[in-house]
Amino acid sequence: MPDTHFYHYDDFDRTLVAERVEQFRDQVRRRLAGELTEEQFKPLRLTNGLYLQLHAYMLRIAIPYGTLSTRQLRQLAAIARKYDKGYGHFTTRQNLQLNWIKLEDAPDAVAMLAEVDMHSIQTSGNVVRNTTADHFAGAAADEIEDPRVWCEIVRQWSTLHPEFSFLPRKFKIAITGSPNDRAAVRIHDVGLRLWRNPQGETGFEVIVGGGLGRTPMIGKTVREFLPKDEMLAYLEAVLRVYNRYGRRDNLFKARIKILVHEIGIEKMREEVEAEYAASKDGALKLDPQTIEAIARQFAPPPLPHRPAIAGEVERLKLEEPDFALWLKSNTAPHKMAGYRVVTASLKPAGAPPGDASSVQMEGVADVADAYSQSEVRVSHEQNLVLPHVAVEDLPAVYRALGRLGFAEANVGKITDIIACPGLDYCALANARSIPVAQRISNHFANLAQQHDIGDLKIKISGCINACGHHHVGHIGILGVDKNGVELYQISLGGDVDFGRTALGDIIGPAVGADRIVEAVDALVRTYLDRRDAGERFVDTYRRLGVEPFKESVYAAV
Amino acid sequence: MAKNLSGDLTVASANRLADGAVVFLDDKGCWTRHLESAALARDKQGAEILLARAKAESFPVVDPFLVAVTEDGQGALEPVSLREKIRVSGLTFAAIAAEAVRYA
Repeated sequence: MPDTHFYHYDDFDRTLVAERVEQFRDQVRRRLAGELTEEQFKPLRLTNGLYLQLHAYMLRIAIPYGTLSTRQLRQLAAIARKYDKGYGHFTTRQNLQLNWIKLEDAPDAVAMLAEVDMHSIQTSGNVVRNTTADHFAGAAADEIEDPRVWCEIVRQWSTLHPEFSFLPRKFKIAITGSPNDRAAVRIHDVGLRLWRNPQGETGFEVIVGGGLGRTPMIGKTVREFLPKDEMLAYLEAVLRVYNRYGRRDNLFKARIKILVHEIGIEKMREEVEAEYAASKDGALKLDPQTIEAIARQFAPPPLPHRPAIAGEVERLKLEEPDFALWLKSNTAPHKMAGYRVVTASLKPAGAPPGDASSVQMEGVADVADAYSQSEVRVSHEQNLVLPHVAVEDLPAVYRALGRLGFAEANVGKITDIIACPGLDYCALANARSIPVAQRISNHFANLAQQHDIGDLKIKISGCINACGHHHVGHIGILGVDKNGVELYQISLGGDVDFGRTALGDIIGPAVGADRIVEAVDALVRTYLDRRDAGERFVDTYRRLGVEPFKESVYAAV
Repeated sequence: MAKNLSGDLTVASANRLADGAVVFLDDKGCWTRHLESAALARDKQGAEILLARAKAESFPVVDPFLVAVTEDGQGALEPVSLREKIRVSGLTFAAIAAEAVRYA
C-alpha cells in the first residue's frame, strides 16, 4: 500500500532513477580515479544536482511540487545526518540543499534518495527544473483543482526530455490551482494558473517570460484559456520556440523572459500558436485515462469528520496569547470543515531561514504522522506545511512544533524572511544574506509587535541572481560588493502573492551591513506612523510613494 | 599592521576534489587546509609561477586559483576579500547542529 496521497513511482520511474544512480556512481569513481577531468565531470555532476560551493559540495534534492511523505522526510534527515552535517536548507524552489556533501559520498546519498522515490536529477543545468506548486495544494479552501496532478504530468514529460536537455538556459515552471496565487506563477519562465471560465470549464492561463535575477520581469499571458488536456502540447510549443530563438550568445540574455521582452508578447504568441497548431493533436494530447490515472493518486486522504469548533482551542486562545497569534498567522482554511492547514515556521527568532536539523525534520515527520496524514509540504517561502490538521488537534500540534522551535507565530510577518544561502555558502554570492536575516529577525522578535506591523515580506538575496526573491519583497534587500565592502540595496513595493505581482523600486544608495537593521526599523516606523486603517506596509508604500520611506532610511543610517 | 593591502601578495587555493574542502598549496607542493602553511608569492612573477605549480599539482583538487592576501608583522596571512576570508574561516554564523531540536 502506498504511504502517500500523491504520485508514487512505478517501475519505469524506479528503473530510471536506479540506472541514473549507477551511472553517477561510475562517473564519480572515474573522476576520483583521474579518468575524467573536471571539465568533463562538471556537467555530469551538475545534472545530478551536485554543485561545488565555497567550502564543500552541495547536493540539491528535488522535492516535486514541494510534497513529501513522512517516510521521505525521515530519509532526508537520515541522509543529512549520515553524509552531511545533520541539517539541510529548504529553498525558494521547494527543494532541499545539503551543504557539506563529500564527492565520494554523493553516489550513496543519491542511492538513499532512490530508496524513497526521490532524486536530484535536473536540479541544475539548462533544463526544465523541478516544477513547483502551491504549497497548500490539495488542501486549500480556495482551490479549484489540485495543481500537483499537472505538475506530475510535467515532471514525467520533462525528465530527461532529449529535445530540451540543452536549452539556452534553465527553465522553471510553477502551477497554481487557486485564484489566490501562492506559487508565484508570474515570476517563472512559465506559470500555469488553473481557472474556471464563464462556461464552467477549468483550464490554464499560460503565462510566459517571468523571472527575477539580473533582469526582473513579470510574466505575460500568452494564452488566456488552455484546455487542460492540451497542456503538454502547448508547453512543448513554448519550449520549442524558446529553444529555437532563445539567445545562446549571452548568458545574461538567455532566459525566455529576454526573448519575450525582445520580440514582444504578440510575436511570442504568434510563434507559439503556430508551433502548437502543428502539433496539438499529436502524441502529447492527454487522454482522459492518463489524466485520471494520475489524478487518482492525488485523491485527497479520507479525512474523518471532525468538529469545526473545539473547546480546547477556544480556551487556549483566551489563555495563551501566542497560541491565538499562531492560529491567526500559521493556520489557513482547509477545504474540509473541521480541518486547518498548518505552517511550521522555519524562522524562529535569529535562525537561518529555511534551515532544519535532522532531528527537527524527524520531529516534523512525527507530527505529520500523528496529525496530518503523514504528509508534509515545502513552501517557496522556506517553511514546512502540515496540510491536513484537525481543528481539535491544533493545540497538540502547536505544542509539538513548539518543542521543535517551529511554532513561531510569524508566518507572513516581518521575521518570516526569505533569504538565499548568500556568501556564507554560495560561490556566486557577493554578500551575506543569512546573518542579515538573523539580525533583522532578532530585532523584531516580539510577536505582538510583529502582529501589530502585520503582513510584511522581507526577501534577501546575496547577489543579483535573486534566489532570495528580493525583487518581489515588500522590502527587498540585495547584497552587493563594492570594493570589497558588503553593502545592501533596499527596494520597496515588490509583491508576489495572490496575483498582485509587482517589482520593487530601489530607494537609493546601498547602506552598510552594520546599518541594515536601522534602515529596516526606519521603514517600519514610517509605516506605523503613516498607515491608514487596514493598510499593509506595501499598501501604505503605494499610497505615499517612496519619499517618506527614503527620508527616514537615510536619516537613520 | 598589514604590510600589504594592495593584494600583491598571493597564495594558491582550490577546493579538494574528494570533499570540496578549501585547501592551499604549500612550499612542498602539497595541498594543506592551513592558510598559514601556504606558499606565498610576493610579486606578479612569483604569482604566475605559483599558479603554474598549483595547476601542475591539481590532481587532488578542483580549479586552482590565486588569492590575494595580506601579511601582518608576525607573518600571519589573511585574505583580502570577504569571500576568501569566509572560505578560510567558515560560516559567519552558527549553523544548527545535527541533533539540535532548536536553533540557539
